[in-house]
Amino acid sequence: MGGYVPLLRADRKALARELSWSGLGMPRAGYRAVAGWDEDPVTMAVEAGRGLIASAPAALRFASTSAYFTDRLQAGIVLDALALPRSVRTADCANSRRAATGALLDALLAGAAEVVVAAEQRSTQAGSAAHLAYGDGAAAVRTGDAGGARLAGHASLSHDLVDRYASRGHPAPYAYEERFVRDVAVPQVMVPAVREACAAAGIAPDRIAHVAAAEPVGGCWKAVAGKLRIAAPNHCDRVAELAGDLGAAHPLYGLGLALDVAAVGEFVLLLGFGNGADALVFEKLGEVAGAAAMARELGGGVALASPTRFLSLVGALDLDWGMRAEFEQKAQATVLERVGREMIGFLGGRDSTGNVQFPKSAFPVNPALGAPEVLEDVRLAELEARVLSITADRLNFTPDPPFDFGLVQFDNGARVLMEMTDRPAAGFAVGDRVRMRLRVKSLNPRLGFRTWFWKAAPLDRPRLGDA
Amino acid sequence: MAGGIKDKVAIVGMGCARFGERWEVGADGLMVEAFTEALTDAGIARARIEAAWVGNALDDINVGNSALPAPHALRLPNVPVTRVENMCATGTEALRGAAYAVASGAVDVALAIGVEKLKDTGYGGLPLRTKGLHNDLWMPYGSAPGTFAQLAGAYVARHGVDAADLKRAMAHVSWKSHQNGVLSPKAHLRNAVDMDKILGAPLIADPLGLFDCCGVSDGAACAIVTTPEIARELGKADPVTIKAIQLCASNGWEMQFGEWDGSSVPNTRLAAARAYAEAGIRDPRAELDLIEVHDCFSITELVIMEDLGLSDAGRAPADILDGRYDRDGAIPCQLDGGLKCFGHPVGATGLRMVYEVYNQLQGRAGERQRATADFGLTHNLGGSPYNSVAAVAILGRQN
Repeated sequence: MGGYVPLLRADRKALARELSWSGLGMPRAGYRAVAGWDEDPVTMAVEAGRGLIASAPAALRFASTSAYFTDRLQAGIVLDALALPRSVRTADCANSRRAATGALLDALLAGAAEVVVAAEQRSTQAGSAAHLAYGDGAAAVRTGDAGGARLAGHASLSHDLVDRYASRGHPAPYAYEERFVRDVAVPQVMVPAVREACAAAGIAPDRIAHVAAAEPVGGCWKAVAGKLRIAAPNHCDRVAELAGDLGAAHPLYGLGLALDVAAVGEFVLLLGFGNGADALVFEKLGEVAGAAAMARELGGGVALASPTRFLSLVGALDLDWGMRAEFEQKAQATVLERVGREMIGFLGGRDSTGNVQFPKSAFPVNPALGAPEVLEDVRLAELEARVLSITADRLNFTPDPPFDFGLVQFDNGARVLMEMTDRPAAGFAVGDRVRMRLRVKSLNPRLGFRTWFWKAAPLDRPRLGDA
Repeated sequence: MAGGIKDKVAIVGMGCARFGERWEVGADGLMVEAFTEALTDAGIARARIEAAWVGNALDDINVGNSALPAPHALRLPNVPVTRVENMCATGTEALRGAAYAVASGAVDVALAIGVEKLKDTGYGGLPLRTKGLHNDLWMPYGSAPGTFAQLAGAYVARHGVDAADLKRAMAHVSWKSHQNGVLSPKAHLRNAVDMDKILGAPLIADPLGLFDCCGVSDGAACAIVTTPEIARELGKADPVTIKAIQLCASNGWEMQFGEWDGSSVPNTRLAAARAYAEAGIRDPRAELDLIEVHDCFSITELVIMEDLGLSDAGRAPADILDGRYDRDGAIPCQLDGGLKCFGHPVGATGLRMVYEVYNQLQGRAGERQRATADFGLTHNLGGSPYNSVAAVAILGRQN
């Protein structure tokens, strides 16, 4: 499994205090994970899934309710960013908070090695409870015939309960009265689904030792647990506390936390909710690779102190950045077709002396070589590097200043001029070790298009709450 | 091996528009201002110009694409006109074209003119440009100060100098240019600034503060070049001649290959070495009387002093603070204020540098006049430290 939570975490208490004059009710505990200006569901899906591709899976499924493109396969973009073969089957699953649990169940039932990635960056309106309750993040699962957990039983139930919705006409969630939702969702959707899944697994519900249940509103799982006499902790609560409700990715992230702490032989319930429910019961067979890292990822981050920076990052504050921001970066499909896969896959080339360069070229950059060569593909995305030169550019426009960039030197010889991201408190310095993270390279709001490339980031993140 | 163009080309007339925020005039007016001065200086009629090279680097909107804005503005008599663009080295590139035309014998008289009309963009600094659709998929769009600021950290790492000492030397670079700009009637900025103000200015691109950065300007500058023989016919008994023009362009080695340490501009070193060889200069520290270099940023000027071989490695900060490059120093640098204060209309800058040296060599620099001025060097740098076009020209008298 794999998980990703953005570096920045808005302190709900501080933000709620800023809005206290309004009298609006909103969550006040914990943190809301906030995607950087250059993060989106594609970048977060890549972060969550990058550790699950030691070998190419048979299929890659991308699940989200907030994917940027409505007519372009996000899974295909993720596939190129992960430099997976084009023969891997790809599919996007969308339009439901249980898109990921459904995709995971399909993958498990298919019985093949598949990767399911779920990522969310949902629109919310300032003042709504969802504004602070939702969070940005991603989770991923690899399925196959061997692993640390097996699917013991499952049940799914469709029920067009409109607890909330988002639409083209209303991109932010429109939520209905919580007691109504609870009173219908618990007895008519959640309890039957869990009961049937447990029955399919051949266990009584009270055998469930750990839970990853996404709730439509607070208190639902508590009611379900009471009804079914399940005493297990719901690990999605921890995700909500430190990152927020991650939408389609929420139950998968909770599953990672649950499988991390469950003992071998224990049963873990995964419950996805959204116009129905998917209930999957797993038996833990051994260590689940990546699950422990998901817990660490959740706890790493930096408190976002500025309310206006938070509002700007989530699109709730439209700042006038001046004339310098008046430019348009248009990417051409022809160029993307020629070199796009090498760019987003961060594929450099190794010459006949062993030196690596990026991008590739007919004549190698190595001055020792005088004739054109065909360079061997070398993926730089998973390599560490060091900062050779750096500045924090305060003149160049960026939606979240300053614009850190410089030359980055890889140990294999490749040297790349790169943007930096996830700026540490003290900034970047010559000699810093960095790792690569896929981020948005260019945005074209007028044409509704964007491109992605890799940026250099600190190797480690501070623990949330550290000074 | 070719012998170069030493003393094969004379400069008989130069002109330079007043640089600055020229709200009242467009690119055509700027060119007219420089050109009419050059014609008068040369003492020739426009009809004698047989070919022209026009340099314009950045903003097609305000000058117009192709070479045509120049012959339109100057009503040149249907001669061949070529537009050249090599980023901030464009001005020297224009001169190189005209000089090579004369040196080759293709024409007797040629014009090099550089122009830029930047103050119509509505903000300070240079406009963003695409780096090409492929590069745009990966290459960062940094500002000009952002690219050159990176020299500072790499210089500290290479030479082990204290960052605060480096910052003070950088501030002295700007302080000196502001001192010189006061004496430069056509300069954009003609105000002296004290060190505390420079050191305390807001950051633009770490560690460059506001006064570590040149601004951008409107302006034009031009040169009329011919053979030394024709120069003498025009009454220039001992004409200013071009001793060398060399230009080096990056091939990706700095930014793609893992050898360069980021603390210098390798193309400047190459261009200088070739120019010294072409001009026959063996000891630039002893032979050069004045230099005009590409001080787009204070750190750039600082490393240029080492790149040109005028300061030892790691010694430029000390030499700068010792006043070696001040107006009364051993090798005065930016006597006219440089990019920092004379201004930086990109396509005109290289020719503006030549204009100052040309005037100094002829004893026409007014209050800025250097007592001894036999050899002068211009250094014009385009791009970034890691992807540059560096041009070095050396001028002197023929005899």
